[in-house]
Amino acid sequence: MKTTCQLRIHLRRWWAPALAAALISILAGGCGGAGSSPSTSTSTSSSSGSSSSSGSSSSGSSVNNLLPMQVNAGPANNSLNEPVVSVTICAPGSTNCQTISDVLVDTGSVGVRLLASLVAVSLPEATDTSGNLLGNCVQFADNSFAWGPVVTADVELAGEKASSTPIQLIGAGGFPAAPSPACNTGGINDDTAANLGANGVLGIGVFQQDCGPACTSASTTLQPVYFSCPTSGCSETSVDPTSQLQNPVGLFPQDNNGELISLPSVAVGGAPSLSGSLIFGIGTHSNNGLGGVKVYTTDDVGNFSATFNGQSYSGSFLDTGSNGLFFLTSALTGIAACAAPNVGFYCPGNPTSVLVTTVGLNGTSSQVSIKVANADSLFASSNNVFNNVGGPNPGPPPAFDFGLPFFLGRNVFVAIQGQNTPAGAGPFWAY
Amino acid sequence: MKVPAAVLFSLLLSVPSWAVLGQPEQSVTSDQKRLRGELRSTTGQGYTVHEIDAPDGMIVKEYAAPGGMVFGVSWRGPTMPDLQNLLGSYFPEFRQSAANAGPHHRVLAVRTARLVVESSGHMRSFRGRAYVASLLPANITEEVIQ
Repeated sequence: MKTTCQLRIHLRRWWAPALAAALISILAGGCGGAGSSPSTSTSTSSSSGSSSSSGSSSSGSSVNNLLPMQVNAGPANNSLNEPVVSVTICAPGSTNCQTISDVLVDTGSVGVRLLASLVAVSLPEATDTSGNLLGNCVQFADNSFAWGPVVTADVELAGEKASSTPIQLIGAGGFPAAPSPACNTGGINDDTAANLGANGVLGIGVFQQDCGPACTSASTTLQPVYFSCPTSGCSETSVDPTSQLQNPVGLFPQDNNGELISLPSVAVGGAPSLSGSLIFGIGTHSNNGLGGVKVYTTDDVGNFSATFNGQSYSGSFLDTGSNGLFFLTSALTGIAACAAPNVGFYCPGNPTSVLVTTVGLNGTSSQVSIKVANADSLFASSNNVFNNVGGPNPGPPPAFDFGLPFFLGRNVFVAIQGQNTPAGAGPFWAY
Repeated sequence: MKVPAAVLFSLLLSVPSWAVLGQPEQSVTSDQKRLRGELRSTTGQGYTVHEIDAPDGMIVKEYAAPGGMVFGVSWRGPTMPDLQNLLGSYFPEFRQSAANAGPHHRVLAVRTARLVVESSGHMRSFRGRAYVASLLPANITEEVIQ
């Protein structure tokens, strides 16, 4: 990508410079200070008392379920196709709140993770069954990792509120360093906006917890996600699903069965940025009806299949947190790969289209067309949003990662596992 | 790609040997404690595959040349593997290249003069492979590393 010349900073811990702290707006009383903060105000609207309906009801509520979403280069200006929103966190049950901008909307993960250096509001730390502090580690496919304590916050998104939600503070000072090699295997530490590409991650994929069943019993073979952290140091532990990092959408009192990602289309040459909407609930308001879309259920790890040239590729998925369309190989597609420095992207001589059939676990299928242009050319432009940036995804086995470009000009519903919608229970995608 | 198996060993080991890239297949690293599972070794045409199926769903395959040198590894599972262990002495090279690639998270391709690493996936579903082109046996391409 266009950041190949970027120098990363590798610090085990990062204390916020005053400048960074000034970029966040501290709201409500108690935090004081930042008098004329530049952006936003919290709307802690308590949805007019008696909106007792569940998320699957289509009766609707008066709650504002629409959160504005931008697609841009991220807060460090070093990424592309980065969908971001503002997330408000509050000390549980209080009006002591803070809004953090430029948090990545990620349907490929679950859980709210925020750079600790940006969080000024004091949040209670979660503990395990032994009373020790709880640490969380997520490792990404690029071998980067995010490490930090689990804390509890009220998470507010538009007019929706997930009370007492376990979230992660990435790179919190005063907390033990990431265990190595159990969490830190020598990869990049995502404890800065430059390394993470965002100020945090709003993980709202098709599951309710980040780890799920794999973390409810101590594993001897997998890289652990949860750690018990007495003063003597952190060690792997198991955690009940309800104490794991949560998909905040599933904790809303209403509009809790999933969300709609709604982004406009973009011209062939791309755009500097783009505005769209993250709309909570499926079939609960006039703005999130399923209409005539098809429902594609996923397997128990959040994948479905894609068929290309008569060959089926399981392990495929939709993901707003992927900044391109990553699929198959040059050998399978006939699309030339880029030379250095844009290794990992496609560089066809001329823009090309690929017809692929997406197939849900339920057998629902439809053909979609995805576009791929020359990444060298795209990255040379000043734009940050492209519907035609792609690259190989060789696996093994090869698969389709339908990243952010797939969502441009297409309404995509994401339904959470076990939650009911007018089109049945999640987990599914619908478009 | 399926390779016709000339010899098939199926062994149940509590602590399998765990070889790393560019090391002899007999090498054992500290990671041997982590992956406990069924080890199945298949000698095909021109190379041997050591496949470890761990009970939690992690599958690691190591590809060894006739002389015993591991030229490639692949992985698939609900979490990332410990790449520092899998890549061995090639890890610093990978780390440096990955650092220069910018925030990717879901897909990463690293190509240096010696090393290729391809890694992809999302929470609960990861996959990838790594190989050293100069260690590939004669008449064997990277396509065998699946």
